[in-house]
Amino acid sequence: MNCEVCQLKELEVGHLEFEIREVLRCILHTILFHRALGLVRPKDVDLELFEITYVQCGDLEIEKKIDEKIEQFISWVEKHPNKKSQICLSFYEVKNKQAFLFTHKIERLYWEQWYINLNVSQLPRTHSGKSHRSKVVVDPGAMIIESSMEESSARRAALEASLRDVLFQIIKFVNEKKDHVPPIPNREGVVSYPYEITIPSSSDSAFGMDVFKRMLQTGHPTMLS
Amino acid sequence: MASFHGNAHSETAKMEQIITEFFAKSLQIILESRSPYMSSRNYSGEQAVSSPSSSSSSSSSVRPRDKWFNLALRECPAALDNIDLWRQSNLDPMVVDVILVQRPVDFDPVSFSPKRNSVRNLSLKERYPMFVNSDQEEFGCEEKSEKIIERWIVQYESRMSRDTCHGSSRRMSNSTLYKKTILLLRSLYVTVRLFPAYKLYHDLNSSSQIRPFTLTHRVSSFVEPFTRQEEREMQKFVFTPVDTSCGRLCLSVLYHSSVSDISSEPSTPLSPQVITDYVGSPLADPLKRFPSVPVPGSASHGSPSFSPFVRRHSWSFDLNRASQPFTSFSPSPTHSEPHATNSNPSSRRFPPSSLPPHPPETSSMHKKDPNFDEYFPSPFSASPSPSASPSPPIRIPGSHLSNALLRSESAPVGIPTAKLANSPAFKQNLPPSPPLKSSKSSTSRSDKSTGVTHSGTPNEKLRQCSGLKLSSNNSPRVSFSRSSSRSFPDDFDESDFACAFDVEVEDITDPGSRPESFEQNVPLCDPLEPGGGSYATRKSADAAVGALVLMLRKAPPLRQDFSKSVANSSGVPRVETWGDSNTVLDSNQISEGLVPVQHVASSSVMASGLVTSKTTADALEELQGYRDLKNFLLSQGSKSHI
Repeated sequence: MNCEVCQLKELEVGHLEFEIREVLRCILHTILFHRALGLVRPKDVDLELFEITYVQCGDLEIEKKIDEKIEQFISWVEKHPNKKSQICLSFYEVKNKQAFLFTHKIERLYWEQWYINLNVSQLPRTHSGKSHRSKVVVDPGAMIIESSMEESSARRAALEASLRDVLFQIIKFVNEKKDHVPPIPNREGVVSYPYEITIPSSSDSAFGMDVFKRMLQTGHPTMLS
Repeated sequence: MASFHGNAHSETAKMEQIITEFFAKSLQIILESRSPYMSSRNYSGEQAVSSPSSSSSSSSSVRPRDKWFNLALRECPAALDNIDLWRQSNLDPMVVDVILVQRPVDFDPVSFSPKRNSVRNLSLKERYPMFVNSDQEEFGCEEKSEKIIERWIVQYESRMSRDTCHGSSRRMSNSTLYKKTILLLRSLYVTVRLFPAYKLYHDLNSSSQIRPFTLTHRVSSFVEPFTRQEEREMQKFVFTPVDTSCGRLCLSVLYHSSVSDISSEPSTPLSPQVITDYVGSPLADPLKRFPSVPVPGSASHGSPSFSPFVRRHSWSFDLNRASQPFTSFSPSPTHSEPHATNSNPSSRRFPPSSLPPHPPETSSMHKKDPNFDEYFPSPFSASPSPSASPSPPIRIPGSHLSNALLRSESAPVGIPTAKLANSPAFKQNLPPSPPLKSSKSSTSRSDKSTGVTHSGTPNEKLRQCSGLKLSSNNSPRVSFSRSSSRSFPDDFDESDFACAFDVEVEDITDPGSRPESFEQNVPLCDPLEPGGGSYATRKSADAAVGALVLMLRKAPPLRQDFSKSVANSSGVPRVETWGDSNTVLDSNQISEGLVPVQHVASSSVMASGLVTSKTTADALEELQGYRDLKNFLLSQGSKSHI
């Protein structure tokens, strides 16, 4: 089985916790909505920062898992500011592989990987006594004050357009590539296929190692992006 | 062999069933996100049938139809009515036109009320889904323009005759077909929410504001193709077809990418007229004169008469509305400009209460402000943080969860018309009398309470909505209070004149009390329930009269006249204070200032002649007295202010 890989368009995100959270939730939920093929009651969620409505599966477990990973990612970003980062959402099948005669090894066969590329950049600080026209936005988490209403509006507008592009990228990918999706297992629950969300780890090189390890585990890694 | 053929037939039958249900499901997905007022999406903005629990627990409550393609959707009568044709034969294409119907500028708001006529329109549309003319009844006028903004085409292209289907080498198992149709429908569900028409639908559904447009639809097999010009204006999005053994399922859409401009246009301002079932703030049109109702204590002031206030929905304002002249009331010149382009007129018309200035708020709070600004003629909407200035990156009101949430709890309190009778030569015609202040407080409070939509019952929220609190935490609640406090001077809590609506005046009489005393004004916030508008207005008017009487009774007898005059005059300093950014009087200052003023200036005020019968000259003299008092209070305030 091929492992289909989708590299999503890079998003320029400000170092604002709220913004990062919104963007990641939107993307991760959208992908999962296309891959959690159990019975769902879709839940529309309006983004607060942008004029975008995305869809959640309405499953608490998925929501919880996504939020946890996002928080971990935000913590990582705090320690590694002004960096490009990748979050990987992978879907795999669990295979019992007989390594030796009587031993079994659980192997993960990745059949799809989504790479969310973010470029988290620190926003310019403002000086006190700035013109009263500036918009003052204080993000409780990032403690960064964004200055200049015009700049932030332009930045947000650009981010919204990029986010839309990413969502359409996901939709197109889901439409064009259906053959590699495993048959829907006959089981209860929303989640049809096991998945994992990988965020960059603390050390820079470790992330590369994670990818390498994953490639080793995958049966036939075919990098099709 | 027989079993083989039997299996083949059953396989073919299953495949056909999948295709038929695919038509139904895709129609449901499209219409439930394009037919306003028909979907069961409630006004709270939350999904009506959203269930966060796992599907297994809710599977028992899932209708059999919902289980198709593992997508449980809300009821969509429009879809059910229209699908019959394709149940009979899925070889015909299904064309769903989403039509934008725009009314001319001078529509009749009374006859146009999608909400009011929703039942009737629903029945009309249910019966005649193909008839676009049913909108004429809805609009109540003949002139309207229709434009097809989206055309969805669902088609099953049969590749070969059915007899050869099961012999085809390209046979696909039904499970694979089912899986692919599930994927296709999931992506359709996500995609319909990303096109511009969804924003229009969202605006229509989440706001009860009367919009100059509506959406309707038409489902048919055969339609007139677009002209070349029309096609050039539209963009096409094609979903990857799903192959079957005998053909392929195709889904595509032609859409206009520029319809979002329509929803951002400001709504037509309503001409002044009384709407009997108004649910909104009477401050919609501050320049309206309110009827002068004889009220004990107020008759002596010789007020000009006011005509009945315009009733409009409190949420019928959007960010782009030009501000009214009252923007000068903003506490500091720094905010006047954002105010000028921000929020709704009614918010400006409210005489600002004196609230202490406060430091800039957090971003999350700011984000909510414009939404609230849109919907509630709140004085606090004038406030805002600079983030509420024009062109915020935040979502335009009308399209939001928060907006919808607000709307469900809004029903701003009506202002007692009697209290607005006192209006000496104030700038922008803002009556400074206590009733008005109280109405301001109640409305602002109500606005704040509606702003606090995230927890608690409406009553709880109202009790919590200390719109005038000066705490510094980051709760949205506080943001509104801060915003309000920034907009309005802090003489709101003049204990004696706090809120005419306030039945519980004990707390209010505390001169040192902060604006929190206005939290007591819960009774008037109570009517903030959807649908309770007119009743709330009447009730609040009666409550206001009663409260005023109560207040006057409790007032010290010797100072009864003085207290009223002070109340009136204290509005003057507030008005003038706005022009002076450095001397915003907070509640403490005013209340503290009042006490000495009472002792010191009582004689002069008393001498101003608070006699029962007033002439114009008397009124002018009294005005002079108020001005003197105001100046005195100003000086007092600047002394005690930081």
